[in-house]
This record gives sequence, C-alpha cells and structure tokens, in this order.
Amino acid sequence: MHLQAWLALGADVRVYSHASAARLVAEVGGGTVVDSLEEALDGATIADVVTPTFTHADLVGSAAEAGCQVICEKPLARSVAQAHQMVAACEAAGVRLYPAHVVRFFPEYAAAHAHVAAGGVGTVAVQRFSRAGSRPERDWFADRALSGGIVADQMIHDLDIARWTAGDVTRVFAREVSTPDGEARRGVVSAQVVLTHAGGALSYVTGTWAAPGSEFRTKFEIAGTDGLVHHDSARHAALRIDGGSAGASRGLLPGGSFMESPYLTQLRELALACTGGPEPRVTARDGVEAVRLAEAAAMSLETGRAIDLEDVR
Amino acid sequence: MSTLRIGLVSFAHTHATSYARALLATPGVEVLATDPDHAERAGESGGPAMARELGLDYAEDLETLLAWRPDAVVICSENTRHRSYTERCAAAGAHVLCEKPLATSVADAEAMVAACEAAGVFLMVAFPVRFHPAFAALRDAVAAGDLGTVAAVSGTNNGKLPAGRAWFTDPALAGGGAMTDHTVHVADLMDALLDGVPPVGVYAQANRLLHPEAAVETGGLVSIEYANGVVATVDCSWSKPDDYPTWGGLTLHVVGSEGQADLDAFGDRVDGFTTGRGQTWLSYGEDLDALLVAELVDALRTGRRPQPDGAVGVRTTRVVEAAYASARSGQPVRLDP
Repeated sequence: MHLQAWLALGADVRVYSHASAARLVAEVGGGTVVDSLEEALDGATIADVVTPTFTHADLVGSAAEAGCQVICEKPLARSVAQAHQMVAACEAAGVRLYPAHVVRFFPEYAAAHAHVAAGGVGTVAVQRFSRAGSRPERDWFADRALSGGIVADQMIHDLDIARWTAGDVTRVFAREVSTPDGEARRGVVSAQVVLTHAGGALSYVTGTWAAPGSEFRTKFEIAGTDGLVHHDSARHAALRIDGGSAGASRGLLPGGSFMESPYLTQLRELALACTGGPEPRVTARDGVEAVRLAEAAAMSLETGRAIDLEDVR
Repeated sequence: MSTLRIGLVSFAHTHATSYARALLATPGVEVLATDPDHAERAGESGGPAMARELGLDYAEDLETLLAWRPDAVVICSENTRHRSYTERCAAAGAHVLCEKPLATSVADAEAMVAACEAAGVFLMVAFPVRFHPAFAALRDAVAAGDLGTVAAVSGTNNGKLPAGRAWFTDPALAGGGAMTDHTVHVADLMDALLDGVPPVGVYAQANRLLHPEAAVETGGLVSIEYANGVVATVDCSWSKPDDYPTWGGLTLHVVGSEGQADLDAFGDRVDGFTTGRGQTWLSYGEDLDALLVAELVDALRTGRRPQPDGAVGVRTTRVVEAAYASARSGQPVRLDP
C-alpha cells in the first residue's frame, strides 16, 4: 500500500527487502528493486521503513546515518527505550522521524478528531474504540516477542487515537484473553485496555483477532460534556453489494470505501513535511507515546496491576 | 384462576410507572400501591396523586399495604432503602421483586437474601433486559456453542443523567452514580450468559466530567474478569446528552473462538428527523418491563422461584462494590470466587 501511494505521488522508489521485493514491484507495477540497504538509502530524500517491528531501530538508524528523512511503520519500536534511541539518532543526524499511524488519516477518524478538537462534544469524558478482524496469518504478527502481540501491533492504532482526542494518559490497565489454537488454525485473541487521561477522561480500547473470515470492523464513540460522536464501519459503507451465496466466490466484497486511500493521504502529508512543508498531524513524540501506552499495557498484562505511565520510560 | 395481590412499594424509581401499567394490564392481578417517602421528594411526582394518575389504589403506609396480605411486592424505592423494605415485606410473607441494583453493599444484598430465605419467600431482581428475546437468542446461541468458546465481552449501558428524581445523584440514597445505576444491567447479562460463573477480578475508573454539578460519578469504565477466564468491560456512563432522542441504550459485543455477536437491546426502532424537534426515534421493540412482570406473575401462579434471583443480585452487587474499591485505589480488586 505504501509503494502504491508513493507511485501515485510521483516518487522514484527503490525497494529493498530480504524476501519479496521483486514480487512486490511486479504486483504493484512500479519501483526499482535494489540489492542492498545501502543502495536503497544512497541519496534518497525519504526512507520509508515498512518492515516488521523488531527491525525498525536498526533500519531507522541506518537511514538517519545516510541522511534520509524517515517515515517508520507503527509501532515505532518494541520498547520506549528503543523508540527514544531512534528519536535521538534522527535528531543527531538532523533528519525528521514520522511514525506511520495511518488511522489518523482514515477520514472517519480525521473527521471525528477535527470535530472534537473544535469543541464539538465539549470536554471529552468517556470514549470507546474497537477494532476487530481475522487473525493475521504471517508468523511474526503472532509472535509476541517480535510484534508485541495484539496490543502493540493492532490496538496501538486506537491507543494513539484515544490520546489524539483525549490527551495524554496517566494510567493504563489491560486484560487479554485468547482461545486455544486448533489443529487447522490459531485461536482468537482479544485485548481490553482502560486508559485514564491527564484531564480525567476515560478510554476503553479493545482489539480482537477474530475467527478466520471475520469481517474487518472498527467502531468508536467519543462522549463529552456537550454531545457525542460515534462511527461503526459496518454501518457506514458507501456501497454494499450483495452477491448472494455465490458472491463471495466471485470476489464481491461486502462493503467498500471510495475515499482516497488513507495511506496516500498519510504519505503525501508526511512527504511534504519531510521536504519543508507544514508540521503533519502526527509527530515522533506521538509515535513514542503510542509505544509507551503499548508497553504499559504489556506491563499491566504481566503484573495484573494498573500501570502509572510515568513509570514507563 | 385465583386473584393475585401485588403491592407496589414506593414511586421513587421511575420504573414504578411501567411496572404499574404492566401489572394493571395483567388479568387476575390486584394492585395496591404506597409511596410513604414521597413527601421527601418535594416538587417531584409521587404519593396519592401519582397513584390516581396511574389508576392505582393507594395505601397511606407500608403497614396498611402489608395488612392487605399481598402475595408479592414490587419495591421501587431509593437504592439504599431496598434492604429495609425487603426485610419488612418478607417478614410479612410477601415475595419480593426488587428494583435494581439489589443493594448498595454486598452486606445489604446478602442480608436481603437471608431475610427472604428465612421468611420462605422468593427474592427477584428487576433486570428486564434479560427478558429481551434477542438476548434469549444470544444466550441460546452461546449455550449451543455457535460462537465457540466465549472469550471477551464489551458492554455498554449509557443513559442520560436520570431526570425527574433528584435522589439518583444523592449518594446517601443512591449509593453512587452511574457505576451503581448502570454496571449491574450488563453484569446481570454476563451472569446469564456465563450461567453464574462468578467474577474474580474488577478494575474500574470513574470521573465526574459530565454534569460536574452532580455529587456522584457520571462516567465510568468497569473491567471484570470471571472465574473461567472470560473478560468483560462495561461502559456505565451517563453519557447521553440531555436532549438525546431517548433515555439511553444497552449493547453487548461478544467475542468467541468461532464468531462474534452484537446485541443492541434497543435496536428495534425507526429513525427519522422532525423539523424543529431533531432526531425521531420510534421504538417498536418488546416492552421489557412487561416481560419482567410476566415472569413474576408466572412464578407466583406456578409456585416456582423466578430468575434473576437474589443470588444474581448479590453477584452483581459484588462487582459494583469492587468497582468502587478499585476506582478509589487505582488498582484491580480480587474477589473470592
């Protein structure tokens, strides 16, 4: 999705990957495969790191050293300490670092945030965010040591949005439950997090890797002193096509969006910022804070306690 | 069919109105009401005038009502008065249907169960959403394994700040705010879905950002762990704006190993818009209070013990009591299963 977006923005893209660069370039129909990281970074304006989380720190370091502005897939890092190192490396090299928290660029979240920021619900008091989809198949997603599990990988989107609309967080409590893996497939995983914000607002964030074939669905509600806003992706599709029982086999998707790809919106805004444009809607600090929330949630899962965020450094 | 005598005790809770209507519409049921504390609710509806409006016969006090020898009473008093009314009615031999929450402390809830047991009467708690046919279908689906193993549940019970009755925000009479008022409905549905598996851990946070003039919490999140490992979080906030088109609502999202389910207990409606009046909201769903009353009447006629019973009331009260302890300490609270 990033490659498509870069091509749509008219960028020259060099693609380096351990495994599937050639296939990606062939599928998307653009970009040039290169054989080494050095070749990819050499003279590039922007390095876009779209790799598994556990590789981010090294790659961002290399990109900064090479003098590239850096965009890095979320979560920025596996730990707050690592995220701080990445920020420091980019500062030392005099390059920018932007985390790709793409959900801030999804139009429903952007619209809700703009409304809330303009006082549309008054002071935010209680909000809920939910995200559910089929469990990812690629192995590293499922390996908590590599991806950080569902909280760090999937729920971090909504942890970031919760902080975006209700401000900094002071306390985090998390629960996670999974069902046993079967012979044919893995079990489902669901996590539930309660955030207490510095201003007193409360957030409930839940993420689920559901049974295979489950429709991807997001929901949110933000309630404040002067009103509320809510959204349910299952109820707000611009087009739904019912192909009957044969429809699925013909590739008919139940719903679709006709908005610009949020990945394109994101990379346009971040690329502009990388080349001297206005500050984007997401900063390196947002990326660090999202990792901090995920790390606090992981500590809460481990200890069964609520975690004061100032204890997560 | 013999005539049943049912006493309606107190109009403090506004549900008294819908129970009164349901009882009056039930064949073979005589209703006598009393609202002894109405003088304390200055400027609010109540007492003999409200009884007249509802078409109810009225007794001046509880003694007069109990002397009428009711088969059962429906107690709609302020929360902290549930215990004393239940104990007096049970001692007089009347079965009890008590408005939720059963009590504002586990000690009170357990005392009420004990009092009813000692008197040989049943104790039922007014959790009407349990009687929603959609919830019954969800419960059947879960029991049949259609969702696989239940893993996680998200529940909401949001409403407006209760209007027309000041006691809802008086800690001495209500016991608390939104967390007292709205956690127990979802806790009851969880109890029914999990067949009484007890909660073993509760974490809760509360705030007073909405309606800061209220003396109780108006926003809250309650996270519950059950003995079988299921986790649930309840948004119990009074977060519907004052001019929202309806009182509020209740939803459940259930995640199982083989599927997910969504319940919107007030989803049966037509939406629209009326010039000058805003959003139109035409509910056509079941009258849940009438279904609750029907369960009471059927239990009286057949001599069985109705559900949800006092034990459910105790379990749901334990969740709320633990939620307040957790909100105070900022840490989760363990409960003995």
